[in-house]
Amino acid sequence: MNKRKLKDKIMLGVISLLAIISAIPILMIIINIYAEGLKYVNLSFLINFPPPPIGGKVGGIGPALVGSLILMSLALVIGGCIGFFTGLYLSEFSHTRLAQYAQLFLQIMVEFPTIIIGLFAYSILVAPLKRFNAFAGAFALSIVIIPYIALNVREAYKSIPHSLKEAAFSLGISHSKVYLKVLLSTARRGVLTALLIGMAKAAGETAPLLFTILGATFLYFEGLDQPINAIPLLIYNFASSPYERWHQVAWGASAVLLSIILAIFIISRLVIKEVRM
Amino acid sequence: MSWAIEINNLNVWYSDKHILKDISFKVPKNIIFAIMGPSGCGKSTLLRAMNRLLELNPNAKVKGQVKINGIDVYNDNVDITWVRRQFGMVFQIPNPFPHLSVYDNVALGPKLNGLVKNKKQLDELVKHALQQAYLWDEVKNDLKKPASMLSGGQQQRLCIARALALKPKIILMDEPTANLDPVASSKIEELMLELKENYTIIIVTHNSQQAARISDYVAFLYMGKLVEVGETSTVFTKPRHELTEKYVVGKIG
Amino acid sequence: MRWSVKGMKVFYAVLIFFTFTSLIIIAGIAVSLITVSSPIFMKYGLDFVLKSVWNPVTEDYGILPALLGTLMTSTIAILIATPLAISLAVFSSEIIPQRFRSFMNSISDLMASLPSVIYGLWGLYVLAPILHNYIMLPLHNYLGFIPLFSTKPTPTNLFTAGVLLAIMIVPFASSIVREAYAAAPYNLKEAAYSIGMTKWEVTKITLGYIKSAIFAGLFLALGRAMGETVAVAMVVGNVPNIPKSLFDVGYTISSLIANQFPNAQAYEYMVPALYGGATLLFLVGLIMNLVGLYFVRKVMIKS
Repeated sequence: MNKRKLKDKIMLGVISLLAIISAIPILMIIINIYAEGLKYVNLSFLINFPPPPIGGKVGGIGPALVGSLILMSLALVIGGCIGFFTGLYLSEFSHTRLAQYAQLFLQIMVEFPTIIIGLFAYSILVAPLKRFNAFAGAFALSIVIIPYIALNVREAYKSIPHSLKEAAFSLGISHSKVYLKVLLSTARRGVLTALLIGMAKAAGETAPLLFTILGATFLYFEGLDQPINAIPLLIYNFASSPYERWHQVAWGASAVLLSIILAIFIISRLVIKEVRM
Repeated sequence: MSWAIEINNLNVWYSDKHILKDISFKVPKNIIFAIMGPSGCGKSTLLRAMNRLLELNPNAKVKGQVKINGIDVYNDNVDITWVRRQFGMVFQIPNPFPHLSVYDNVALGPKLNGLVKNKKQLDELVKHALQQAYLWDEVKNDLKKPASMLSGGQQQRLCIARALALKPKIILMDEPTANLDPVASSKIEELMLELKENYTIIIVTHNSQQAARISDYVAFLYMGKLVEVGETSTVFTKPRHELTEKYVVGKIG
Repeated sequence: MRWSVKGMKVFYAVLIFFTFTSLIIIAGIAVSLITVSSPIFMKYGLDFVLKSVWNPVTEDYGILPALLGTLMTSTIAILIATPLAISLAVFSSEIIPQRFRSFMNSISDLMASLPSVIYGLWGLYVLAPILHNYIMLPLHNYLGFIPLFSTKPTPTNLFTAGVLLAIMIVPFASSIVREAYAAAPYNLKEAAYSIGMTKWEVTKITLGYIKSAIFAGLFLALGRAMGETVAVAMVVGNVPNIPKSLFDVGYTISSLIANQFPNAQAYEYMVPALYGGATLLFLVGLIMNLVGLYFVRKVMIKS
């Protein structure tokens, strides 16, 4: 009996220890990023051009920040649209072959290496135009977020009780109004969460941008058919470079990116909390 | 005599299961028509076949006619939203939209259907519907509160108001008191008797006493077949069919 | 009246159109991978997978080192992540008090949603030096006679990449286990406690009950580890040689693509070679995901 109790204590202790170990990195990451990065971040850091590799002041990430915002909004519009309607279809027509196949493929795609999506966008939007361009990046990000949005929108609509669906349909309004007005307002938190998840993905993905937007470091946005930069890509390029100056910019940019992700994360937590009320 | 609804040779299948078998009957206007039978006999399905709510179930297949004003609701040229507007529907579990206010629950249908021109008309329509549902006095100061704050009985009357606000001709009620306490139930029954002045009410119930209490006509459904239909007094006192007799004295149920 | 029937059809047509668009995009990805990569498979056949050479001058490409690198880093990752992910899930659903649970889960979910480039930056400048000084160097110095530790380590190498991947996939795998743990029937636990089992014994029973979910989480996490690109590219060393030990520098398929693609256009066969690598990654990922989804469905049927 005593031996069993001792074993119980030891095993629970080991589990707790391992769990705490696995939570340490996140705390370290947040502390390291802010400790190293925040000292460079101020208003001019958000606006200015990056510095030359050697010499000069730290400068800023203006072009990359603007680029990221443009890419995020475009991806959210394209991917949000396709993802939302696909998710609605998956939920309401789950009995159809089309929905079943689409769902399986999207579930697989959620886990897909995003670099493959970057190659795809390269071969259909960059190679033919012979120019890296912002739209190709937005397109690649849209593809990345479609499955996230579609599957989460599906969950949101699936979670509406059948009795409320019946009530909505018995109102005698068109089916588009049933889904897009009455039931959307019932499922709005789930749908909002889906869009927030998509937004966080679009903000942080690097691999789909590697071969699509080029990372035009010293250019502000000049049109969708022109190269631009984005924060994650800037971090990747600068951190892998040999220049100390650029490493500092990468840390500062990481602090900005982390703040964007944290903000989206906290908003989505608040949205979910409201659901549980 | 003109009928509120005529049903001819109605058959319903779920996948391969034959749920309703060759149902035919007519419902006169401005009465309470009860459909009774043991659970699983197809009562709710019959009700949902009338306003085509059955089509939410992709496995449901319908054959036969359901006519209102001489128009078959299953005719290809008929708009499904028009069909559903002819009926108001009240469900077994009170199902107001929980995140909407009391006011918005009633106002939603008329607003989305374009039944009103301005806010004033809408206010009046909502007030009238709530009054008709005997709910106005209880909620007139709480119109902006979420519907989920109301009691079960109040929620059900709110659902009745929501149905009435669409100005339907027929009200379908699917066991509207099954989830309510006796006091709230009797209020709903009272309300139904009041409403039949202006509407035709079709109510599904598994409670034969309720059918006897409130209905003018009654249909008895058993295992997907229509066993008997007629004036309530006749069906309860002189049932023509042995099954009906067994049911009304409580031997089947 | 008729118009509205039409309106409804239009609405459904829109839904079907977008769903088709999603499917077509996925199909397009597969088609573009296969068509662009076909020259390399035509030229080298299986040799492309089995050869260790990366010579743009002679246009000679074999992807074996990168493939081995992918397998090695993801194996290291899954070995480290498995006990951590399960412990984290058990800890947050069984051991800590109820009121800290949602906080703990939030931390884990936040970890899962951090961009990989942030992991990469942190891995390169914080994790790599720590691993180098406190783990890899001592292991090499004292246990260098074991082949696994025989290479004199640099901070960035396959082992660092594996550890970083482990850190990245733990929260994801643990959230799948956690959900399954929460869905395990309560009466199972009640029954176990009622016959006098200790908490650890009950936990073991519950874990056994949800083992399909654990497999699902681990396979999906393995798929993620294999496909991860930028974080790995920043810490793996990026040298195309057959790894001789844990501490050797190397490549993974995805980091090879990330590094080589920008100058691949200059050569005739390098683009097909990199697409060939992506095709392999696609196939391996597909298998991992299908196995993972198979276990997920098994869980869903059970509950």
